[in-house]
Amino acid sequence: MEYASIEREIHVDAPPEVVFEVVSQPEHIRDWWYADTDVRPVPGSTGELVWADGDNPRANAVPMSVVAVEPPRLFSFRWTHGAGETAADGNSMLVTFELVPSGAGTLLRLTETGFRERGWEIAALEKQYQEHVVGWDTFVPRIAAVAERLAASR
Amino acid sequence: MTAAIDDELWSAIGDPTRRRMLDLLLASGSWTATSLSERLPVTRQAVAKHLGVLDRVGLVEAVPAGREKRYRVDEAQLGRAVAQLTAVGDTWDARLRRIKQIAEAIQHTTAQEEKRNG
Repeated sequence: MEYASIEREIHVDAPPEVVFEVVSQPEHIRDWWYADTDVRPVPGSTGELVWADGDNPRANAVPMSVVAVEPPRLFSFRWTHGAGETAADGNSMLVTFELVPSGAGTLLRLTETGFRERGWEIAALEKQYQEHVVGWDTFVPRIAAVAERLAASR
Repeated sequence: MTAAIDDELWSAIGDPTRRRMLDLLLASGSWTATSLSERLPVTRQAVAKHLGVLDRVGLVEAVPAGREKRYRVDEAQLGRAVAQLTAVGDTWDARLRRIKQIAEAIQHTTAQEEKRNG
């Protein structure tokens, strides 16, 4: 089904414990996503992903809400719901990171769903979907790079 | 690194608008072409072109942000660029030292000749 989900898979030369930290801890999220967040890796934790633009430290603030935290194999959250809304099916995207041990490293699998459930016109749906595709094309490899650097430094 | 890349790097930072952009990027982490153009006396299109030049020589990196891109200084690349510029500076220091030696030798010879002839 078109625009149903985005799926990416990447091998990371770092153990699942390290990759889990990188996808779920605010200090590492800043490294790969360049976003500041007050969300803790605890189910039900809510807050924002905040991006700066030049002089404006809160140029883009996007709600985020943690769904599942199962170290070191699964981390999922909802995001892009309206400010003040409770994240649920239909008002937000669901991002799931699955971590599978692979040799000395990790197979990291990203899935993002919820695009079609937003009820957008096709043009808006296509635009949003493409923006997220471009985003994950950049940020998934960055997760791997940050995790590999962190693993090497230990 | 090849001479061609040196030339590109030097011409990238040789432009005053691009240097001002690097100043802004170094001062606060991340900018879109739109927000940079609000701080500079050039259009957004011109800023985007300049960012393209800086991106090609690796001084900045672009990350997607919705429809736009946010640019940041690539610290590792900037470090390499600074090392390269320092190396060029050192080469010039060596050249200038050599020129100084030659000049001093000429002056010394001339002084000795003047003494003999005087």
